[in-house]
Amino acid sequence: MQMNQNSENILSKDRRVLVIGGGVGGIRAALDLAESRRNVLLIDKSYAIGGLMTQLDRTFPTNNCDLCTVSPHLSQGGREKYLEIKPMTCLTGLTGEAGAFSATLMTEPRYIDTEKCTACGECAKQFPDAVRFTPGLDPRAPTCMRYPQATPFAFSIDMSKITDVEALKKVCKAGAILPEDQPKKTVMDVASVVLSMGADLFDPNVLDNFGGGRFDNVVTGLEYERIMSASGPFQGNLVRKSDGKRPKKVAWIQCVGSRGINRADVPYCSSVCCMYALKEAMVTKERFGEDIETTIFFMDMRTHGKGYEEYYNRARDEYNVRMVRSRPHTILEKPDTKNLSIAYAVEDKSVQQNEEFDMVVLSTGFRVNSETKALAQNLGIQLNEHDFAESDHFNPVLTSRPGVYVCGVYESPKDIPETMVQASAAAAMAATNLPVSSAGLNGEDMFPPERDITGEDPRIGVFVCDCGFEIGGVLNVANVLDAVKTRPDVVVAEPVGYGCSSESMAKIEVMITKHKLNRVVIGGCSPRTHETKFQDLLRRVGLNRYLVEMVNLRDQNTWTHMNEPEKAQEKAVKLLQVGIAGVRTNHPLREHTLPMNQNALVVGGGVTGMTAALKLADQGIKTYIVERAPSLGGLARSLRKTIEGDDVAPFVQNLVDAVTAHSNIQVLTRSVIVDHSGMPGLFKTGIQTGVRMNYMQIDHGVTILATGALANRPPQYGLGTIDNVMTQLDMDSLLADEPEKVQAMDQIVMIQCVGSREEGNPNCSRICCQAAVKNALKIKAISPDTEVFILYRDMRTYGFLEDYYRKARDLGVKFIRFSLENRPRVRQDDGELVVGTHDYVLDSDIDIAADCVVLSTGLVADDENTEDLALMFHLPRTEDHYFLEDHVKLRPVDMAQRGFFLAGTAHSPKVIRECITQAQAAAGRAQTMLAKKEINLGACVAVVDEKKCASCLICVRVCPFDVPFINADGVSQIDADKCHGCGVCAGECPAKAIQLLAYEDDQILAKLDGLFER
Amino acid sequence: MEHFEPEIVAFCCHYCAYTAADMAGSKRISYPSNVKIIRVPCSGKVDAIHLMKALEKGADGVYVAGCLAGDCHFKNGNVRAEARVNRVRKLLTELGWEPERVAMYNMSAGMGEAFAQVAKEFTETIKKLGPNPGRTGAVDKAAS
Repeated sequence: MQMNQNSENILSKDRRVLVIGGGVGGIRAALDLAESRRNVLLIDKSYAIGGLMTQLDRTFPTNNCDLCTVSPHLSQGGREKYLEIKPMTCLTGLTGEAGAFSATLMTEPRYIDTEKCTACGECAKQFPDAVRFTPGLDPRAPTCMRYPQATPFAFSIDMSKITDVEALKKVCKAGAILPEDQPKKTVMDVASVVLSMGADLFDPNVLDNFGGGRFDNVVTGLEYERIMSASGPFQGNLVRKSDGKRPKKVAWIQCVGSRGINRADVPYCSSVCCMYALKEAMVTKERFGEDIETTIFFMDMRTHGKGYEEYYNRARDEYNVRMVRSRPHTILEKPDTKNLSIAYAVEDKSVQQNEEFDMVVLSTGFRVNSETKALAQNLGIQLNEHDFAESDHFNPVLTSRPGVYVCGVYESPKDIPETMVQASAAAAMAATNLPVSSAGLNGEDMFPPERDITGEDPRIGVFVCDCGFEIGGVLNVANVLDAVKTRPDVVVAEPVGYGCSSESMAKIEVMITKHKLNRVVIGGCSPRTHETKFQDLLRRVGLNRYLVEMVNLRDQNTWTHMNEPEKAQEKAVKLLQVGIAGVRTNHPLREHTLPMNQNALVVGGGVTGMTAALKLADQGIKTYIVERAPSLGGLARSLRKTIEGDDVAPFVQNLVDAVTAHSNIQVLTRSVIVDHSGMPGLFKTGIQTGVRMNYMQIDHGVTILATGALANRPPQYGLGTIDNVMTQLDMDSLLADEPEKVQAMDQIVMIQCVGSREEGNPNCSRICCQAAVKNALKIKAISPDTEVFILYRDMRTYGFLEDYYRKARDLGVKFIRFSLENRPRVRQDDGELVVGTHDYVLDSDIDIAADCVVLSTGLVADDENTEDLALMFHLPRTEDHYFLEDHVKLRPVDMAQRGFFLAGTAHSPKVIRECITQAQAAAGRAQTMLAKKEINLGACVAVVDEKKCASCLICVRVCPFDVPFINADGVSQIDADKCHGCGVCAGECPAKAIQLLAYEDDQILAKLDGLFER
Repeated sequence: MEHFEPEIVAFCCHYCAYTAADMAGSKRISYPSNVKIIRVPCSGKVDAIHLMKALEKGADGVYVAGCLAGDCHFKNGNVRAEARVNRVRKLLTELGWEPERVAMYNMSAGMGEAFAQVAKEFTETIKKLGPNPGRTGAVDKAAS
């Protein structure tokens, strides 16, 4: 199936995109669209957006708290002016065609005016049964809870449970109760639709062997998250439901309801459960005691994401999480202790064992719910055999209906980073040919004018987040505040719960106004992630954004000193003193802007680079592709078929043709990057191009890195020395070019994880399991009698790839597991190729004669190339030499250095369709930046005090960017538009005539004073 | 001397060392709480005066942490910082103070472990040196 690979021509009457589903994927897609100035409507059937992620405790692989990472996105969701959010709304019909759809929406009555509701909680106090969503803790069942940072931040009422409407109305001081609220039907024109409905988690109560729903101490993975969560039913305390005691021995059972063929099972793999079980086990030990025994029962450990293998190793080796390779049969409850006995068998012992645990977690996977199935019918899109949206093989965000795009779990089971990538890709596709909205460009115009604070004495407010347990669990926040509230100029010092929630933000705004504050200190997480949020808060109340100091009480205090709470307490007070002393010296600053260059540079001309370039060029952006090889195509040129059975060569050729013919794309092959300068939005990159290596310079505003990876060929198992030992890529070619050679073979042995998941290259190459299964199926198709053996460590056929794995087993492909300690051996006996390995099921060593041995060698990073580019562009890399994105969870295609975006195998190993999606995502993210049209240079620039300047030329010499010069008045001049704000000149100036704004000498010295105040 | 808990100031550049410190936090790697970070845009911003004033105001040790050599977000601010730190160390020697009280370290944004390691090492060094000679009576205070 190939639906319509590239952009579609959408003629739009109304410039609106409809995004269905307000989980992280839908939010990301909506924000991307809004940021690139497209009007977007986000609808969700629930009364608050946020989806599944907001119920999680922490997320892998950083083990960060989810609320802290999601809430900035959510509050951003409430803020963007191109974005409208309609909760409690469903789509009931979609007619018309791409570019000119007519959507019918039905909004359920909320009985509360969200504009008036202040979320004071009075109604919930008086009518607890009828009011939905208590911000904070909800004593009801774990899964009906939402989170304390909900957007919109308002209540919802179940009117059927209200008998006295007048009494309810009286309770609400804000007059927000709307007893006459009716379901609302809206018909609107939309240009395109993005589906991000996600999926439910499997309910294991339908299984009779695991006691789900019947045994108190058997919970699902999500329920376990809720138990550990600070906003959960036990306030973040890990206890058993049966007796309220902390469990000492916890087991996880993987693949419950997944990868099975029994009654309630689905055959596919949910992709995320291995990682979340590892995370839950690690967090259990981290937070609730290293002595808690944790055991994971699993079939294959699927840690195929970027850096996930190291996470798995850490769980096993550093956290001592016990791994048992087995699919348990039953759980029985001990009637007296309510402990649980798990019956299981391991592969090398035929007898069944029983082991007792205090608590058992069932790792359940994704299921499409009936509402979503009904919605698919309304939408008229095709579903796959598992009821997920059928998507295009090469372009997974395309559904069967043009103009309707899909992302996230509803496309196939996936984790948050992959959802984010797909959401950005779907947004980029949905925005194609959709003109940008002409509404005001400048973000500042949303804010009131700034209040002039000249002449006012400092009035400082100190607000400390407890961030759930992240800060409040280590520090005694009240005591910390007591210690600092007597500091000079501190007018108010208050705890604010989750400081980044809309509720707390609103509270802080009220306090600022009420106490006429003109300086604010926020004690919470890192300014790196949240400073902008609080700067915006100040702007909303009419204060300059440089009048706030963020004090890092979490990342640099409670997280590192969690085991020494007294020291953390003492340090917190000192850090706040530093913040208070610092903010006292802050003064209003003005930010500088420059017009942004609208060109794009794409480094790498493989499938990823070409896809990204096309996406940008179609939007009218002049795009340069720099490719070091003589021709475009990259690694995909050596690939023949995908696992879905599509030919790769024609696909690549189409891309090459489209790129070459595009008037907005300039292709520079045989070209290398030799220098780079400028700033985000105004880059200059020098390249040497062509056989003569002519030098040319490209001006561009954004850069997309699509430099790919290398096919690994490690000298293992006789590769390169023994004939008939080849890689999966070689076999792929052999099957396409000389199938008769394969047909003549009696036995073929494949060996997995060659050069991956071992010393030197500890991570998983992700693509090899599917490559082996793909080739094995092809071999079986053309030569059913050829025996195929696949020697593997864990089969990682994630998501729907599991279908192919099952099919291979059905066709008689033999899968034999091996361990790293006991690897297969390839040898030649009298010219015959023999593979020796240990069979754990037979518990003996076996020899397999082979006509050929196929090694799954995967990918390795192009160390030399990424190193050169990393140095030139000042970009970070991972330990295994891939580029490192800004945030592995929430910003998977953005680099930390603004203006740089990352896609394809330069990020980590992945299959073609995943590369294409990431390429679209990177192009989409790049567009959101270009759409701003101007660069905010910030206010942190160097200024010269002409009276003090002795024209000594030191600043002229030391500036890394050659900005200062001696002007006509004979003194140093530094143009704010050109200054990068490093402050090197200020550090060197002998006359102290230069100050770096926001980091002035008296501000730094004041901070030191604050630290040593006693 | 055993109970001496030094006060240590770490000037960390925004792009590398400060991020590395956050990384140490997100990986829950512990290091001595004696180290208090002051964020600067670039290690090259840290003036000799800031280092001297930190000691004058009561710090027992001060260090500057910037990006790895060749990796500075602002090209060479870290090299400038190192030169300045060396000048201050020389000055301290001339004053009869231990030059080890001031140091320069380099690390990349991803090096949370390295950040913690540096914090531990430097704290150990300062513990061995004892309190800042300019801080009379500091021992009693810290021990109380």
